Amino acid sequence: MDGVLIGSVYGLAAMGLTLIWGVMNVVNLTHGAAIVAGMFALYLLTSGIDMPPYAALPLILVGGFLIGVALYWIAVHRMIGRPPLMILLSTFSVNLVVIGLGTAVWGTGLFNVAVALPGVTWRRYTFSGTHILAAVLTAIIAGSLYLFLYHTRLGKAVRAVANNREAAELVGIPTTRVLSLSFGLGVALAGAAGMLIATMFPFTVLSGDAYQLKSFVVTALGGLGNPAGALVGGVALGLVEGFAAQFMPVSWTLVIEFVLFVVVLIIFPRGVFAFKRS
Amino acid sequence: MSDALLEVEGLTAGYGEVQVLWGLSLTALRGRLTTLVGANGAGKTTTLRAVLGTIAPWSGRIMFQGEDVTRLPAHVKATRGLVLVPEGRQLFSNMTVDENLEMGAFAKRGAHGYSDRLERVFTLFPRLKERRRQKAGTFSGGEQQMLAIARGLMTDPEILIIDELSWGLAPLSVYQLFGALKTLKDAGLTVLLVEQNVHLAFAVSDYAYVIAEGRLFTQGPPSSLAAMPEIRRAYLGL
Repeated sequence: MDGVLIGSVYGLAAMGLTLIWGVMNVVNLTHGAAIVAGMFALYLLTSGIDMPPYAALPLILVGGFLIGVALYWIAVHRMIGRPPLMILLSTFSVNLVVIGLGTAVWGTGLFNVAVALPGVTWRRYTFSGTHILAAVLTAIIAGSLYLFLYHTRLGKAVRAVANNREAAELVGIPTTRVLSLSFGLGVALAGAAGMLIATMFPFTVLSGDAYQLKSFVVTALGGLGNPAGALVGGVALGLVEGFAAQFMPVSWTLVIEFVLFVVVLIIFPRGVFAFKRS
Repeated sequence: MSDALLEVEGLTAGYGEVQVLWGLSLTALRGRLTTLVGANGAGKTTTLRAVLGTIAPWSGRIMFQGEDVTRLPAHVKATRGLVLVPEGRQLFSNMTVDENLEMGAFAKRGAHGYSDRLERVFTLFPRLKERRRQKAGTFSGGEQQMLAIARGLMTDPEILIIDELSWGLAPLSVYQLFGALKTLKDAGLTVLLVEQNVHLAFAVSDYAYVIAEGRLFTQGPPSSLAAMPEIRRAYLGL
């Protein structure tokens, strides 16, 4: 059961990745760096200026969005319409710069943000308070994203650009601005996920890569470009992790996940929970 | 020609090294239906792309409502009322009819008077009203073309440019759509139609341009063009 709570946060991270992929066909390799940035933003805000941990979430969402929009113009915009490898290289180099700076400042040691929350006991199970709150906040963010994409004019424009960029341009949607907005949203989601993960687990500057890879696994499960699928895929991954942990050492979870990743890609190349595409 | 709404002067354009248009000029008059016909590969779609700005023209000038709009991006042209119904429909296939129409009205000019225009569009194409919540990708070709035109109308166009109205459609749908086009024209809408079915295009239009190999071949009212032996042979199959 705890796997569902943790997995939903993986789903949140993967939503950021899959949103960017769906809207602009870009595999965003700054994703892991954005997750780590969320973790360290939480660390700095709580230890530096004594901010209550969950008050950092809106700040990280807004900051992540602004940084994401800036990143779009710096590293992505000129690569749109070029060979995909160019975008992989440019986002990967941003990733290296961020991780490199982080390592220079904080080293690669373990960090921990202590969040004091009472757990909840139900029958013979006890759930950690941070895990429950992380899942609740994930549900709120995911729900808001859904409302934005399906019930606002701008959100529908994001889906229109994802669906057919040329047609979107022809009906008067400023598609370049929509792309930068989507990139900002994707980075904000990754940052928020990183912050929520940091309330549950210790982390290092190098943690981003593992969570970025988890996001890829979740995306493969949920179907590329499908935010709702990402949440389901995240929960599925959380369950697999929780299940595997009962039988083998924790260090094996990544191995299990990647075997799963490969198997899924072979059997369901478009994702297990992918909606039918017309 | 004081009532010229859209004027294209000496347009050249192409893809990479390949030049497709070699100095094309044409004019669409306000309130008229102008047709651009030509064989496959003559440069009709390229002309429209260059006019709308989805590809950059190499040289030439595009005047719209007396202003030079040659270098404006496509989305800005749409907000000024220069609206294209693209070849192959290009609907938002994962979105519903309602959402497609709402996106058509994304620009400010379309948002103004939205519900009245929606009613008019549904009167023109009642079938769309029955399927408002259905996804566009599930539609037949004729219904998709109706929706594409409806989406264009929702922008409240000054001029509606339609690329290949009859493309890939069953004869019955083609006649329905040409009927709708006639209705729109009679209501005073300015239309620039690009069409391979020259018979039908000549039947509804006020003025026609014939292009071949990226250049203007001839122009005139359809009745006089239809009398020219080379047009009858090459385009009307007579």
